[in-house]
Amino acid sequence: MTDGDVRPVQRGRGSSAWTGRRRWIGHAFVAPVFIFLCAVVVLPLAHAFWTSLHRVRGLSRSFVGLQNYERVLGDEAFWHSLGVSLQFTAISVALHVLLGLGLALLLNRLSFGRRALRVLFLTPWMVAPAVGATVWLWLLEPQFGVVNYLLRAAGVIRAPLAWLGEPALAFASVVVVDVWRGVPFVMLLLLAGLQTIPPEQYEAAAIDGANRWQQFRYVTWPNLRYLLVVASTLDVINTIRHYDIIGVMTAGGPAGATEVLPVLLYNTAFRGNRLGDAATQGVLLLIVVLSFSAFYVRITRPDRGSPAA
Amino acid sequence: MKAGNSLARALKWAAIAICLVVTLFPFYWMVNTSLKPASEIFLSPPTFISSNWSLDAYTTLLTQKPLLRFFMNSLIVSAGTTLLSLVLAALAAYGLTRFFPGGATLFVMFLLFTKMLPETLLVIPYFQLMSDLGLLNTYFALVLAYSSFALPFSVWMLIGFFRSIPREIDEAAIVDGASYLQIFGLIILPLARPGLVAVALFTFLIAWNSYLWALVLTTDSSMFVLSVGIANMVGEYRVQWNELMAAAVIAGLPVVVLYSMLERHLVNAITAGAVKG
Repeated sequence: MTDGDVRPVQRGRGSSAWTGRRRWIGHAFVAPVFIFLCAVVVLPLAHAFWTSLHRVRGLSRSFVGLQNYERVLGDEAFWHSLGVSLQFTAISVALHVLLGLGLALLLNRLSFGRRALRVLFLTPWMVAPAVGATVWLWLLEPQFGVVNYLLRAAGVIRAPLAWLGEPALAFASVVVVDVWRGVPFVMLLLLAGLQTIPPEQYEAAAIDGANRWQQFRYVTWPNLRYLLVVASTLDVINTIRHYDIIGVMTAGGPAGATEVLPVLLYNTAFRGNRLGDAATQGVLLLIVVLSFSAFYVRITRPDRGSPAA
Repeated sequence: MKAGNSLARALKWAAIAICLVVTLFPFYWMVNTSLKPASEIFLSPPTFISSNWSLDAYTTLLTQKPLLRFFMNSLIVSAGTTLLSLVLAALAAYGLTRFFPGGATLFVMFLLFTKMLPETLLVIPYFQLMSDLGLLNTYFALVLAYSSFALPFSVWMLIGFFRSIPREIDEAAIVDGASYLQIFGLIILPLARPGLVAVALFTFLIAWNSYLWALVLTTDSSMFVLSVGIANMVGEYRVQWNELMAAAVIAGLPVVVLYSMLERHLVNAITAGAVKG
């Protein structure tokens, strides 16, 4: 082979030996990540499945088949926790999307300051959830917290409330904190989506005499609908498996009012020291998460789908 | 018409201002509290700007509390995670963009799958394995764990950056007799440097903000990272809120500064996939 006819070989159509070698080299570059992820993700995952089929007592473990599943599924605590999880996720995500959309629409066509505002609005999402939750613990502190002070000064409440001390209030509080943290991400996605809508479409609508609402209804909405579904699904996946905020603020209390599945899992494993049950609950949580993931993969092109955040 | 427009604009800015106040108030209160002397914390009504503010809480934290240690732990673990993830992710992104132009859908799906797993599920077997291996309370265990959830993100982001480097450059180098490793090290990596820097910083921040893994994998308080150390301070008998808020500022400030600098990259990386779909 002379230098002159290298090209056809490079295009990979020349010989099957060449494409074979090429593929082999490609695999060699990807292999380290694959092996690493198998070791640190797939292996623990398999271990969790394995544990869910065992009774673990200290260092001894015995195979019990599906007994753990039978017990966990017969346990009221699990169903209660699943209910709390679904409620928490549904309300949080609905508010993320609603407020995120509102904010995105507000920021979308600003003549100035959009980038600066985007950074500012993103701040709650940047800070570690555990640290943000700690700050909220102080804001909501019953005696000296500023939230009670402000609400009393404004005449909204008469006596200070124990925000994290009563079931319904505690649930509402963790939702508020999760909304505070979660809105920016949805806003970011939707704002990016809004920016891709060609201005000509709005101009055309305006020429046709469409008012603000009609412009939203017939230009913004059809363009944004798909992205709204994608963003909500991603957000559901992220919210339903989130531990940090509730873990720090209430650890699932009071009386299990905020015990979402990830928190139940943690409490079962590390407070109750029942690893077999915890692994079983984890597998069940995984099934819930994966059903949403499957939906996400179906609606997005997987090779472009964002595994972000 | 004109008057209606300016009214609408005023309302819009008012709405933005209200949202901004609600969003940022916790940060204002965090900083405000961190600057108060201990005696002022439990005043009612609270002071919105302390007249005798000081950095006492910060000095106490840094001299009498193990905060510096937590900070160093966070720094070491996040840096280690960044290094490991970046090396592995760069190799993979090169392989995926250069040798599987079809996109290696299966592998990307695998990344997506690992990214979507609930960490509370993984943390249980991880704890068991690490405790069996005697690796609890080690940086090594934390770096491995953190890389497991940082990697899919790093790979995915780098794919975007590597894809934007024209393949003609590789092909020209092949004609010149360069090996694939040479192309990777001498051509692609230098060209992708802005992307690598962005990915490195994001990986660092993801690791820095993580909580659950370190909570489970460290039991010895000298190995706590910032997030765990701070959340742990809440459990103390008498919470020193000014010190706690000062600690939160110390943990949060680097993050906010870095993110603000990287905001454009962040937006591109996160929205590209979802928006263009």
